[in-house]
Amino acid sequence: MKLTRREFLALSGKATAGAVIFAACGIPERELIVQSPVELPEDLVRGEDAWFATVNPDGRNSDGLIVRVMQGRAKKVAGNVDFPVNMGKHSVRDDVALQLLYHPDRLAGPLSRRTHGGQLAQTSWTQAESVLAAATNTSRMTVVTNPLRGHLGWVASRFAEVRGGRYITFDPVEQGVLHGSIKKIFDADVLPEFDIANAHTVLSFGADWLSSWVSPVRHSVQYGKFRSAETRGYMIHGESRMSMTAAAADMWLPIRPGREGDVALAIANVVIDEGLASAAEITAFTSALPAGILNAYRPQDVAARSGVSAEKIVKAGRRFGSSRPSVAFGGGSAGAHVHGTFALSAIYALNTLVGAVGSTGGVKLNPAPAVEGLSGSATGASFAAWEQELAQWRAGNIDTVIIRGVDLAHGMPNSVDVIDALQSVPNVIVFGTVMDDTMAEATLVLPEKSYLEDWGTDIPEPGPGYAVVGIQQPVVGPTISADEVSLIADARGFGDELLRLAGNDIGASSMQQLVEQTTNGLFNRGGSTASVSAPNSNLFRKGVLQRGGWWDTRATGPSRSFSFPNFIRGKTEAEFSGTSGLGQGIDLTLVPFVSNNLLDGRLSAAPWAQQVPDPMSSAAWATWAEINKEDAKSIEVSEGDILFIKSTSGEIEAIAYPHPGVPRGVIGVPIGYGKIEGGRWAEGRGENVLKIISDKKDEETGALAWAATSVRIQKTGRRLKLPKFEGTVEAFPIEPGVPVLVVAPGETAHEAEAANEAEYRKLFTNDETRREIGRDSIGDRISESESQE
Amino acid sequence: MVTQAGFGNHKWAMAVDVDKCTGCQACVLACQVENNIPLNTQDRFERNRSISWIRVERYWEGEFPDIKARFIPIMCQHCENAPCEPVCPVFATYHNAEGMNVQVYNRCVGTRYCANGCPYIVRFFNYWEPVWPESLRNHLNPDVTIRSRGIMEKCSFCVHRVRRGVRKAASESRPLEDGEIQTACQEACPTSALNFGDINDPNSRVSQMKKDDRYYTLMPQLGTSPNVFYLAKVDEDREIALTGAESEGGDGH
Repeated sequence: MKLTRREFLALSGKATAGAVIFAACGIPERELIVQSPVELPEDLVRGEDAWFATVNPDGRNSDGLIVRVMQGRAKKVAGNVDFPVNMGKHSVRDDVALQLLYHPDRLAGPLSRRTHGGQLAQTSWTQAESVLAAATNTSRMTVVTNPLRGHLGWVASRFAEVRGGRYITFDPVEQGVLHGSIKKIFDADVLPEFDIANAHTVLSFGADWLSSWVSPVRHSVQYGKFRSAETRGYMIHGESRMSMTAAAADMWLPIRPGREGDVALAIANVVIDEGLASAAEITAFTSALPAGILNAYRPQDVAARSGVSAEKIVKAGRRFGSSRPSVAFGGGSAGAHVHGTFALSAIYALNTLVGAVGSTGGVKLNPAPAVEGLSGSATGASFAAWEQELAQWRAGNIDTVIIRGVDLAHGMPNSVDVIDALQSVPNVIVFGTVMDDTMAEATLVLPEKSYLEDWGTDIPEPGPGYAVVGIQQPVVGPTISADEVSLIADARGFGDELLRLAGNDIGASSMQQLVEQTTNGLFNRGGSTASVSAPNSNLFRKGVLQRGGWWDTRATGPSRSFSFPNFIRGKTEAEFSGTSGLGQGIDLTLVPFVSNNLLDGRLSAAPWAQQVPDPMSSAAWATWAEINKEDAKSIEVSEGDILFIKSTSGEIEAIAYPHPGVPRGVIGVPIGYGKIEGGRWAEGRGENVLKIISDKKDEETGALAWAATSVRIQKTGRRLKLPKFEGTVEAFPIEPGVPVLVVAPGETAHEAEAANEAEYRKLFTNDETRREIGRDSIGDRISESESQE
Repeated sequence: MVTQAGFGNHKWAMAVDVDKCTGCQACVLACQVENNIPLNTQDRFERNRSISWIRVERYWEGEFPDIKARFIPIMCQHCENAPCEPVCPVFATYHNAEGMNVQVYNRCVGTRYCANGCPYIVRFFNYWEPVWPESLRNHLNPDVTIRSRGIMEKCSFCVHRVRRGVRKAASESRPLEDGEIQTACQEACPTSALNFGDINDPNSRVSQMKKDDRYYTLMPQLGTSPNVFYLAKVDEDREIALTGAESEGGDGH
């Protein structure tokens, strides 16, 4: 048979294809395994790592940490499983410590200038220390720090004392009302432990306790247990903004700003009226209150004032009173009003009505600190105290101010003009790691060690109901920079510098020595239930350092009967600043909130803190404004519009983010942005909402009423894309239960999926809905498949 | 020295209890720190090019004042029938013997077919060379390769931690204990919503969680058979909604 060239090529092709197909069928399975059967040497990391325990005193509460160190570099921060506060867990605020340690804009060395108008220039530590010594040799001196509970605060306080000066603390979102209310209701000097894990009902107001309030990591650990307990806990949260905590609640009460105390008392009325409290409990709650005063807080009346329906208030009250153990607590925006002490006192007093004080699942009072001389409690000085202090600066009565751990120029409202006050002081000495707005006004800037490089102690507040001392130790030494001849930061410890200046006046020469004195004191205290026991103080100290601290589960707080005074007196109504003369626009109540990642701005230098999406908006890197959709519509605002937010104290701009969880009449703006100085990732980024807060104060404590500012909102006419993680379409599920499947108690996932599917089918077979959403064809297909079934 | 890899008889899985997730983002950053994920700058956010091996999605449900915000962490689902695997022309992504969907960086040629195939949108392409300021390179994790421009990356179930844990147990001649290996996200998660373990071990926590009535997986209709599964969110208000549906003659449940 003769083959043509064309036939030959065709046959060859077919034969080849057949061979390939045949061979493919026969490839042994092992030859298809693409996983490498070996681990190559280059896959294995050489070098030894070490893990050091320490505590983070710069976050909200002190979280115990374990830091992985390899070849002298800190590589990872993780929660210390042993530490009673955070129990092995950690947060975004802990992780960023690595970036603040190795920040490329860390102050490499001291900077100084002769006068306020001059330029900051590099100087040596020798020169800087001589300036420091001369400037602090006076009684006309004020030492300013963030609230510090450990020895660093003690050293700062003692240093000011021995020099005859003053020590004052600053917290932009001060907790003075919280501490004042705790003192009033529980007669306690330190914040108590809220036993969330063992509660059946948690009732909270204003405090974003899962995100940024007081001790969020501990609260979250407890929340996890609360949800997985045999009786799943029920959570009620009242707040005028849908925060992360409000989102986690089973029932959110969107209370109008300043009405939290009213709602608390309305809940008390429900508990009393429905006989959900014993006679003794009712007596404990009402004994100090004038007769009949609670009649002003009936649910139906409070509903009209608070914007929360009477049905919800009654439901919350029934749950709180009947599903015990119950615990009530509050803070944050609930206390940041002119009547803040009234509101928080009303909230905390609820605990007596359900027998929560001193009981499991309730409020546990914490003991006095186990270290002599330390208060164990710290809060920022009141705004009223700060107004007086700054008046002294302005009057020329202060020669030297030493500042550490706070950015006064960023954190103070415009009303006090802190820049002017700083410029009135001849010597402004600021310790820190990265340039900030206050340093920009300083005459001497001193690079400070990160907490990962320094010694210290911390008393967690609140503690877990028993005595705890956290020990901070340097986990790394000074880091060599890339040129291998200098240090990333030639930094010194703030405490060490003050102790050096004080000579023998304070009784210690270094923070390390104070840590040793602390561990010696704890060793002498003894106690078989303490976390560390050792035959001698040296081994004891090593044990404490290895565990990251010391604690004694038997050293619990007082368990006493108590009574509180009448708290429904003085101001019981909210007051807000005015908006007259601010031009066109709509008036809303400003609800500033502490950022989950940046806190009050103290972590804003870290790019990780900037880039982690906000839990609610998913926004990052910019200041946004959460505004109700209807309010936004009324001034024709949509997402991306830049808004003017004006108060009588100033104005800022923010990118509008209308979302369905914002109550009408409020606008939420995150705190922490708007640094003028702050390193490459923070400076000039976003706007500082703290600046436009009015100077209203809580009547009783003088604390800044930072949630009592009315603002006028206008469109700027400009637009910017809001940097956020979610897409441009509002994230409502396109079908029920996808991707977040929700079940009723006792319902299985399978049952819920079946019910959701039925609901979804109904949606598409409903003519009206089908027309509305323009999905006729899909609906028809579903109908057809159903008819075939 | 080249050693034989010990694959063991493990099958790794992740259980996510949605009822505990608060959306705090601790897992997101812990993962980024652990796995040397480049900084997600503002520019990357705006271009939708940020890389996040695990993300927390937030969904709205209902209307004000009864609106609810629901959070769900989503990472590579390590599917048994992964749509990303067969489409890779160079076997850069494959299923290993321990249930993990593995990405081999030095095989990847950047076709992005896998990302197109993944229904969970958990694969990320490196459009740029990752850059850190010199001083920030000090904290990079030596256990994890830095991915270069042009290749895909995704959640690895912290495979380096798994390997270290398995090796450690083997060197001590003892079985691996449940909970001994923790992924970085799980380690951070303050509410313990994230749980990682060996699903082949019937006594492991993830095995127990898989038996929970609230067990479900994402997009089950696709048949991907994920090794990440979820426990549903519990909401008492749902009971009311369903009861209402029943009284109106609805399907209910």
